[in-house]
Amino acid sequence: MVARRRTLLDSELMEAGMNELNCTRRDMLRLAAAGLVSAASLPAQRRQITAREVVERIRQNLGVPWRERTADTFKWGDPDRPITGITCTFMSTLSLLQRSAAAGNSFVITHEPTFWSADDVAADLRDDPVFEHKMAFIEKNRMVVWRFHDHWHARRPDGIFAGWTRRMGWDQYRQSDQRTYVIPETSLAALASEMQRRLNVRSARMVGDPKLKVTRVANGGHYIAQAMAAAQEADVVIGGEVREWETVEYFRDAVAYGHKKGLIVLPHEGGEEAGMEECANWLRGFVTEVPVQFIASGDPFWIPKASA
Amino acid sequence: MSEPLTASRLLDRMMKNVGIPWQSQRADGFGDGIHLGPPDTVVTGIATTFTPTVDVLKRAVASGKNTIICRETPFYSRGERAPLFWRNGPAPPQQLLDKDATARAKRELIESNNLVVIRLFDNWDARKTDAQLRGLAVALRWDKYHLARKRGVALYRPGNEYFSLPKTSLGQLVRNIQTTLRVHGVRVIGDAQSQVSKAALTHGFLLVADLQRVMKEPGVDVVIGGEPVEWEASEYFEDLVAAKMAKALILLGNEVSEEPGSGEVAAWLKTFVSEVPVEWLPAGEPFWTVS
Repeated sequence: MVARRRTLLDSELMEAGMNELNCTRRDMLRLAAAGLVSAASLPAQRRQITAREVVERIRQNLGVPWRERTADTFKWGDPDRPITGITCTFMSTLSLLQRSAAAGNSFVITHEPTFWSADDVAADLRDDPVFEHKMAFIEKNRMVVWRFHDHWHARRPDGIFAGWTRRMGWDQYRQSDQRTYVIPETSLAALASEMQRRLNVRSARMVGDPKLKVTRVANGGHYIAQAMAAAQEADVVIGGEVREWETVEYFRDAVAYGHKKGLIVLPHEGGEEAGMEECANWLRGFVTEVPVQFIASGDPFWIPKASA
Repeated sequence: MSEPLTASRLLDRMMKNVGIPWQSQRADGFGDGIHLGPPDTVVTGIATTFTPTVDVLKRAVASGKNTIICRETPFYSRGERAPLFWRNGPAPPQQLLDKDATARAKRELIESNNLVVIRLFDNWDARKTDAQLRGLAVALRWDKYHLARKRGVALYRPGNEYFSLPKTSLGQLVRNIQTTLRVHGVRVIGDAQSQVSKAALTHGFLLVADLQRVMKEPGVDVVIGGEPVEWEASEYFEDLVAAKMAKALILLGNEVSEEPGSGEVAAWLKTFVSEVPVEWLPAGEPFWTVS
């Protein structure tokens, strides 16, 4: 079993290393480090920078104080090694790490956790084969993963929702409370389809009359207290992953009473990924040494078409 | 003439028949027991359900039943559950519940019909047999494929949640499940073309620890679950697939995966309640989808 996993890693490594541009850049950096070419002879884009230096610049440019207790820390890899490129994404899944390595980006900035819990203590990961595999992939590919969650949300406007609003094309509909949008009248079903298309997701799940006319759309967060508060004024509430026994049942009851309300439950990814595209655009303003790329981790789910 | 069956006497009988020491409190949220309504209410009939939606409550009232035995709670929260805060969030504040038109109307519905809501979750799950698992297996018509049955151990419980299904593609298996359970919002991780046979069946909230446990069983191709946290169990499963250590996860939704267990609760109640009718009233799948 172990031998099989190692073989798999080697083949992934080859795939990751085959990006020729990336090899060239790495070679140049190595030569520069050995003093064989002067750093000045490298194009501006190819000066060295480490992950820790990038994070330091993020802290300087953020415009909000850094919190003492935060999830925004390095999760794995050496932050003091020069990086080859930056990937911004919603979640550092193994598939995303593989794609980032193949694109030549050794530094992954992820909004959500790498090791399957907000605080990395929800499960015992000793002897866990997936944990072992993911760690080994990061190390073998000399990658480093840093989480950017609390502070990107803390920025004003919230970096995640700024990106989401832009992706939806809704900047002009955004209200002063920052979480409500007044959009041209449409139906709940048409809005759900439009949202799936623009956010590039396929697993939205809805509660309410598909023909319901909607114009006031509110972001309802993840939890019932937020969603219920948002529902007071809105026709439709967007949940970017909600607990089913909470928010979903509340909307089912609202509809049972004939209240003209709808709920669109997006995959968590669909509610926040666009915010990390926004993050990549923002980073390019003050990180010029290496390429900065947004790579979507993608909607994890598919829903089969309803059978006839 | 014997004493009438009150809600508190019904609860006493449940405690006596549950087969384990009854726990009425839990540190992290609402416990089992009478959740709403006066304990001395005379029971006119019992409805069991996954969650007491407005629709379920109205159907119970229409059929003359004033006592609801449910897994989830009427006001959309399991309580604070501090250790799980980032999964659950806090309960809605009372001020918001008092203002909200839906919550107010539901409270009025419960009070004006003198309904009693009894929660049964932790003690039911702590029984020797996992009746939620058995109910779901039977609803899927998978009981004949239960591996524990072949081993001569017909108990449904952790360690015995594996099924040897006729080999098929993931896509076909999902279509079969949709047809059998009549559901729409089934979410899937994995390649629809992959061939699957050995299934691990779980229900309700799906945690990473559940996946770690069932994936230790050799040869599991597909895991069935209810509702994951998307930065926990479903990410873990995506990584299992990317590492080629597993093929597929099928997420039925919490209600769909737990509701057949409420049928099991009704069958169990009938073994010690004969004075009043007992009926399973499924809440039904809450979602629709576009594709």
